[in-house]
Amino acid sequence: MARAAALAIALVLVALLPWIGTPTLVQFAINALLLATLAQGWNIIGGYTGYASFGNSVFYGLGTYGTAVAMTTYQLPFGVGLAIGAVLAVVFAIVLGIPVLRLRGHYFAIATLGLAQVMTAIVSNLEIAGRNVGIVMPLLKGDTLFLELSLALLVLATLAVWWISRSRFGYGLIAIRENEDAAQVMGVNVTMYKVLAFALAALFSSLAGGIHGYWITFVDPASAFDITLNVKMIIMAVFGGPGSVLGPVIGALLLSGVSEVLAAQITSLASVFFGMVIVIAVVFMPHGLADLARRFKRLGVRYFGENVRTNRL
Amino acid sequence: MDLLWQIFANGLLLGGLYALMALGLALVWGVLNIVNLAHGALIMLGAYVCYYAFTLAGIDPFAGLVLSAVVLFCLGYAIQRFILNLVARAPMFNTLLITFGIEVVLTYLAQIFFSADFRTINPPYAGNFISIAGAAIPTVRLAAFAVALALTFALWLVLLHTRLGRAIRATAQNLVAARLYGVEPRHLYALTFGLGAALAGAAGGLYGVVSQINPYIGATLTAKCFVIAIIGGLQNPLGVVVGGLVLGLVESLTGLYIGSTYIDVASFGILVLVLIFRPTGLLGKAA
Amino acid sequence: MRFKQMGLQSLVGAFLLVGAAHAQTVVLGASVQMTGATANTGRYYRDGYQFAVERINAKGGVKLGGKQQKLELKLLDNQSDVNLSVRQYVQLVSQDKVNLLLGPFASDFALADSSIAEKYEIPMVQGGGASDQIFSRGYKYVFGTLPAATLYFESTIEAMGKLNPVPRTVALLYADDAFDVSVAKGTRDLVGKAGLKVVIDERYSSNASDFSPLLSRIRSVNPDAVLVAGHETEVLNFIRQAKSLNVSPKMYSFTVGVPTADFRKALGPDANYAFGMTSWLPLAAHKDEYFGDAETFAKEYKTKLGYEPDYHVASAVADVEALVKAMEAAGGADPKKVRDALAKIDFPSLYGRVRFNQVGQISLPQTMIQVQNGTVVPIYAGNGFIGKPLYPMPAWNKR
Repeated sequence: MARAAALAIALVLVALLPWIGTPTLVQFAINALLLATLAQGWNIIGGYTGYASFGNSVFYGLGTYGTAVAMTTYQLPFGVGLAIGAVLAVVFAIVLGIPVLRLRGHYFAIATLGLAQVMTAIVSNLEIAGRNVGIVMPLLKGDTLFLELSLALLVLATLAVWWISRSRFGYGLIAIRENEDAAQVMGVNVTMYKVLAFALAALFSSLAGGIHGYWITFVDPASAFDITLNVKMIIMAVFGGPGSVLGPVIGALLLSGVSEVLAAQITSLASVFFGMVIVIAVVFMPHGLADLARRFKRLGVRYFGENVRTNRL
Repeated sequence: MDLLWQIFANGLLLGGLYALMALGLALVWGVLNIVNLAHGALIMLGAYVCYYAFTLAGIDPFAGLVLSAVVLFCLGYAIQRFILNLVARAPMFNTLLITFGIEVVLTYLAQIFFSADFRTINPPYAGNFISIAGAAIPTVRLAAFAVALALTFALWLVLLHTRLGRAIRATAQNLVAARLYGVEPRHLYALTFGLGAALAGAAGGLYGVVSQINPYIGATLTAKCFVIAIIGGLQNPLGVVVGGLVLGLVESLTGLYIGSTYIDVASFGILVLVLIFRPTGLLGKAA
Repeated sequence: MRFKQMGLQSLVGAFLLVGAAHAQTVVLGASVQMTGATANTGRYYRDGYQFAVERINAKGGVKLGGKQQKLELKLLDNQSDVNLSVRQYVQLVSQDKVNLLLGPFASDFALADSSIAEKYEIPMVQGGGASDQIFSRGYKYVFGTLPAATLYFESTIEAMGKLNPVPRTVALLYADDAFDVSVAKGTRDLVGKAGLKVVIDERYSSNASDFSPLLSRIRSVNPDAVLVAGHETEVLNFIRQAKSLNVSPKMYSFTVGVPTADFRKALGPDANYAFGMTSWLPLAAHKDEYFGDAETFAKEYKTKLGYEPDYHVASAVADVEALVKAMEAAGGADPKKVRDALAKIDFPSLYGRVRFNQVGQISLPQTMIQVQNGTVVPIYAGNGFIGKPLYPMPAWNKR
């Protein structure tokens, strides 16, 4: 109960940021919230279903471009643009998901990586998308709309994950993650569940992309389909705790904060630091913060040693 | 016809270099089951070693290759021994993440120490070419092609006909059995990774003569190497050569007939298609 | 906890800076590429801005309302990342509360960053983006000191019509980014009007490192002239690979690289015969209030920074001078007044005559230049030859 109250207060505070915080803080918040949404989206396909997708950036990009083209070439309003971007992404998720989700483990990861590169290359050749030069969006002064939208999207994504964690669908996904063949034998419609998870991830990623595109007022293939974005969302989800409801959100907000502070201070050293954090985290706390929080009480510092001992050669 | 032959020749030469770049990645992947996202960064470092050997000590790049290979071997050994060995039995995904972290660290350290400026290794013979049946064949690319084939052959020999090679293959197939035979896996893993890194280093030196280097080339090179390794299959080094040549030809022909902005569509499109329809690669046995 | 401390420190630092800024100095803010893929040119802007601000302050600073105020520069490194650069401009405007903005290098950066200037209504003078996209959005707060991308090859094409033998066929190659696509668009028109035939019209991926397919096609089609719109590293690759594939048209011309010293150093004798263009030459005829004239400026710059300045540096200096002049005309640093002053400004500088048209872009002719024996020789400007071009280009093995 106390936890729910704390969450509610946090939500209200964030929603009020445009009035109680500085513009830089609002800007940081929008970025962090969108990243957290992406991490949650990845959580559905990577954390719960166990399919580590490097292709969520494709859906993000499709959302960005869908919105951009709808608003500039067809003069449609923002809401319609977002919807079009989302539909585009979900359709792609289903159509591409069916063949690609047949692959397991790292083959799936690489296939999605390949898809991301293909999409970037295809879009940079499409005339309607402005090719590699990109599209300039109409300018909307003020960040309030974007902050509230990003917050609402994150809440929606987290609620979806919360519902998944309690539903038969969610148990089916976890079964797929733990032992796909056994799950199939037990009657889980493995293909449909996987594609559905993929489509849900696509939905949230594309909406995040659409919001970001309009906010930044400029979209181009390199930043819309950015692979490092995909890796960032994975790291945040994994750092926070894949397969948990709030883990990815906390991971995203924490890492965004650290990254922002470091970037303001010393630039390349910040990136080196980020890389080292990843290495250290994967070695000493591969199950994320959520797991760390749970088991640290029992094991203390030995928790880290445990992780290394289980995984070393 | 002349143009087609030139394009074909370009593709083959490019393919040879590609094959060498991917060799290390395929070795480590096929044998240790480690998907190394930092592979491109290793190539980049090899290029810088060769560059500084050339500009500071006047060492010819083809000799500098050896230096690159040695330095990168040591680095690779250390990375595997002290970092990657710690997650060797974790899910494969963790290795992906950790190698990504290593890639970031190497890239930004390179930027801090070498600056972001673009460099080329420019020996006096860099612009020479010979004419074969009407096509201009740049001599440096031809030499790189020859070196690539030679190293691939050497690797094949080592894997199949030396004790070390047998130990490596045994460890790949059955870790427990290999242990029973007295193989020390931590050292062997590190040795294998070091070997992969050495190959990457040599490829980097050649890359620096043929193209430009800067700290950020790692990511794109890794992506290209993935395509090659997947196309060729991970079963044996010959597959990587085939993969490299196929990719080189595809890129060259796409550049001519469709347009050079479509080259990435072709390369990565092939990656996705091969994965979906024939994941063990063009040379591998069907799953 | 350490992060909270660092955050607190930077917040306090920001407040102090804000306080200081309002007290005695005028703060100019910019996010430039000091590290990262485009840093080798981005740094010219950092150096240019710093050199200009130092000199202007040495001469007393900016005269506002009877008082002399010093200029202060707040530069951030965007690591060649457009998204970071956008966020940094927001930080400069809203947190650091700079008075006025200077621009980044490159059209794609200028395109994205200028939206921030427009959004927050703070004037930005940028000398790094020439693409017509930047100036076709109806923005009021953005001004540019690089002349229109579409006209980059204008003087070259005019000169081509007067060469002997006249080149009849042209190959047009351009990179896939805002600036070069703009250049190609304009060049196509110019070539058409001059009665020349475009036999190859190819777009290539930005940051391409392998030009073999294109060069092979050029060798096979054999156009008289090759015009390349790209960035420095691409042009370097192109020339090197042209040599190793034995491609040698009667002439080739590049939008970047040729005026820059480290380009010529990197290529050595292979740079000879290459044509290019520049909107600026260090001539004594360009008089300047703070530096005397362009020739003196170039000498002092080289002494202090160790390399010869090119048009990027001169453009950056012009940006700072434009802001200073506009503030003096407006009698203060009020954004709206400075913006109005910028729209009407007209003064001579080491960069040439600084004056913006109705979309905010400067209009300066490009001088056609050529590398001859390792030095840059101006060839064609105005309406006639001012130097002798070495044409046609000899084959590689006959150099």
